[in-house]
Amino acid sequence: MEFFFDIFQNTIDQFTNPKKRVFILYLLLSIFIATLWLIFNKKKSLLQSIKFIFNPKVFFSKSAKSDYKVFFINQVIMLLISPHLLTQITIATALYFFFFEINFIDMGLFASSPKYIIISLFTLTHFIVDDFSKYIVHRWMHNWPFLWALHKVHHSATNLTPMTVFRTHPLEGLVFTLRSAFAQGVTISTFVYLFGGGVDLYTILGANLFVFLFNVFGSNLRHSHIGIRYWRWLEYILISPAQHHLHHSIAKEHYNKNYGAALAIWDWLFGSLHHSEDTDSLTLGLGTKDDQKKHSLKELYLTPFSESYKFLKRYFLKLFFFRKTKKNKSEIYFKKSPQ
Amino acid sequence: MKKTNLKTKLLASVACISFGLTGFANAGAHSEDVYGPFPVTLKGYSGDCTNTVSYSGQVARHVQHDSLKHLSTKGDYSEMNSYYSGSDKNKQIWAPASKDGFPIKQTLLNDISSGKNLSGKTYKGTITSWPNNMTGPEVIDFWMSKAESNPKDVSVGLNYQQLLSKFIMGAVFYNQAIDNYLDEKMEADTKPNDKPYKDGACYTGKEHSWDEAFGYWGAAAHSLLLSAEQNYNVAKKKDLASADHNGDGVVDLKSEYVFAHAYYASSFDKGGKTTYLEDITRAFLDGRKLITSANGEKLSDAQRSELMGYVSIISENWEKVIAESVFKYAGSTYKSLVALEDVSNADLAKEFDKYMKYWGELKGFSMALQVGKDNIGETGTKLNRMVGFGPMLLDETQIVGIDVNGNYVMDKVYSMNDAKLHMLKIQKLMIDQFGVEARGNDMLSDMADLASKIGTSESAEND
Repeated sequence: MEFFFDIFQNTIDQFTNPKKRVFILYLLLSIFIATLWLIFNKKKSLLQSIKFIFNPKVFFSKSAKSDYKVFFINQVIMLLISPHLLTQITIATALYFFFFEINFIDMGLFASSPKYIIISLFTLTHFIVDDFSKYIVHRWMHNWPFLWALHKVHHSATNLTPMTVFRTHPLEGLVFTLRSAFAQGVTISTFVYLFGGGVDLYTILGANLFVFLFNVFGSNLRHSHIGIRYWRWLEYILISPAQHHLHHSIAKEHYNKNYGAALAIWDWLFGSLHHSEDTDSLTLGLGTKDDQKKHSLKELYLTPFSESYKFLKRYFLKLFFFRKTKKNKSEIYFKKSPQ
Repeated sequence: MKKTNLKTKLLASVACISFGLTGFANAGAHSEDVYGPFPVTLKGYSGDCTNTVSYSGQVARHVQHDSLKHLSTKGDYSEMNSYYSGSDKNKQIWAPASKDGFPIKQTLLNDISSGKNLSGKTYKGTITSWPNNMTGPEVIDFWMSKAESNPKDVSVGLNYQQLLSKFIMGAVFYNQAIDNYLDEKMEADTKPNDKPYKDGACYTGKEHSWDEAFGYWGAAAHSLLLSAEQNYNVAKKKDLASADHNGDGVVDLKSEYVFAHAYYASSFDKGGKTTYLEDITRAFLDGRKLITSANGEKLSDAQRSELMGYVSIISENWEKVIAESVFKYAGSTYKSLVALEDVSNADLAKEFDKYMKYWGELKGFSMALQVGKDNIGETGTKLNRMVGFGPMLLDETQIVGIDVNGNYVMDKVYSMNDAKLHMLKIQKLMIDQFGVEARGNDMLSDMADLASKIGTSESAEND
């Protein structure tokens, strides 16, 4: 009974906790921003805009319906496995001890810095490290075949809705959890070691100031059918919703582009930036003949296991037995593979 | 003037009535939650005894420990020893002694129980946390003889008062209760419930064994009627109203005072994160009620198994109370090590004194943790290596052994930075191995606080 209550509570928490992407206020603000975009940029009337935003063909599409199912199923799975996962505290503590042991600079070297500097620096660093690690891991998800087998679940969405953010294979969820724990662990341990007990976080409604701003300015539109574009110069710094839509496009020229979450700087620095285009005519998905068949729970949950396993097996055989294996059918889908 | 008098008298009367009512209420209410009295259940008993609860011997030992602690700063070996090894003289109770607003009923040891000692009840196994394979009583004797010449030895960094007190609480009270009364004496055929504890006694074997363990725990008989804060203030001699359960105006050490680990449990529980005192005392009370309910018959397998459930609650929580203390003082020692780095010459002596005290408490509690029922194995080894035999001095030397003449051998083993790191690792060890929750002086809490502010790292989301 308690378990069901926890599932219920976790589900509600996704919409009521300002630290979460689909917090109701962020969703409402995204609708507001989308409306403004459609009125001023696409010259639609208010009514047309509203109709366009709440297009039932998008929200009741096969793809969107599978997003909702995955959302609920993953709530249950994550509740079961999360107590057994490596936490940011474990990583932070181990690193903190390591810094001590190697005598990594003097502990508390910058502890006397003004408090506002320490807090600003930590808030910014945490955001940047977190965002950069997202970029790196996202790139790996596309470039390593056994990870792509998992990440394909996300890219199999043929319509984007804010709930597509949850369209994630549980194994990929494990990778993301580890990433987040590692990013937090590194930042926290380094800051507490160098700045002592004064380290804190600037927050709004409990969320990191920058994360809050990212969400307030329409993060939910990244996964939507509203292709908001930024000025060209801004798209070097921040990823616009339209830039992320390109990332989901099946067009060859859009493969392996725009991995960034909030910042576009990483894509710019590492050569994967693609400026936005008009996204109205984009086709989203994996680009296979049977994309519409990729929304079943079997395809979303079971197939990735077997595909990922095949790639891992091949690495293993190649690495230890120098054996070459036949390429299998699943690699057909491996279209967004390494350049 | 007359008016004022009348008013004063009126107020006084109201106060007296309220006080009396409170006393009455305390004395009468919730008696279900008070440890005793319990009736005679022993078959065939024909004496005058009506209450079978008896643990005055344990209270006497608590008082001997408190008095020894008080005397250990005076440096008189023979006086210290008369409280440790016992004396035929009816010695004065040095602590806990009456103070203004907190009168204590007993002033002499024999007012509680005569002929008791601590030495006979000290853990006799080898103390691996101290050099030279000494037994428990040998360690205590060694410290008392050292304390005679120098109770606080700055040259090696030892505060004998803290070492003696914290180790005795473990090697006598904790060990006797957990490793003897709640262990061997709870076996089916040892001290059975259908026979008197000893010839002529009105209590059964199991009843008295259980009571003795409760006595060593140190809670007041009515501790369950009080909050953690009130229990704490009773031990600090600050709350007569809470202590004086029978309302006779004085505190009876035999049942109304909070000693030793029960006091430490209250100090953690008042922070609101733990309920050690309540859980342990409740398990003692429920266990005693169960034994009484057997009505002088041998305990059935089901009853004994239920009783062992209470023993588990007591053992696990008691161990955690000691682990919490290790955690707390590792934190204090760490803070002192940091403070000593930048201390001015004027404050050095004061700061070093604090450092010796904290390290002494840490060492004493960490030694106590290793004299329970179970061998804590590798955890003990890690703990001993990280705590060391003495605190690191400012020249980075510390005690590494004791020579044949009983002199300390000093050497440089690791750096001051390592010493600090050890304190942090000890705190982590206490969390990992014992699951401490109160976590006083948590030196790693900054990181945990930040992590919780950022939010969970669990994420099945694709940005």
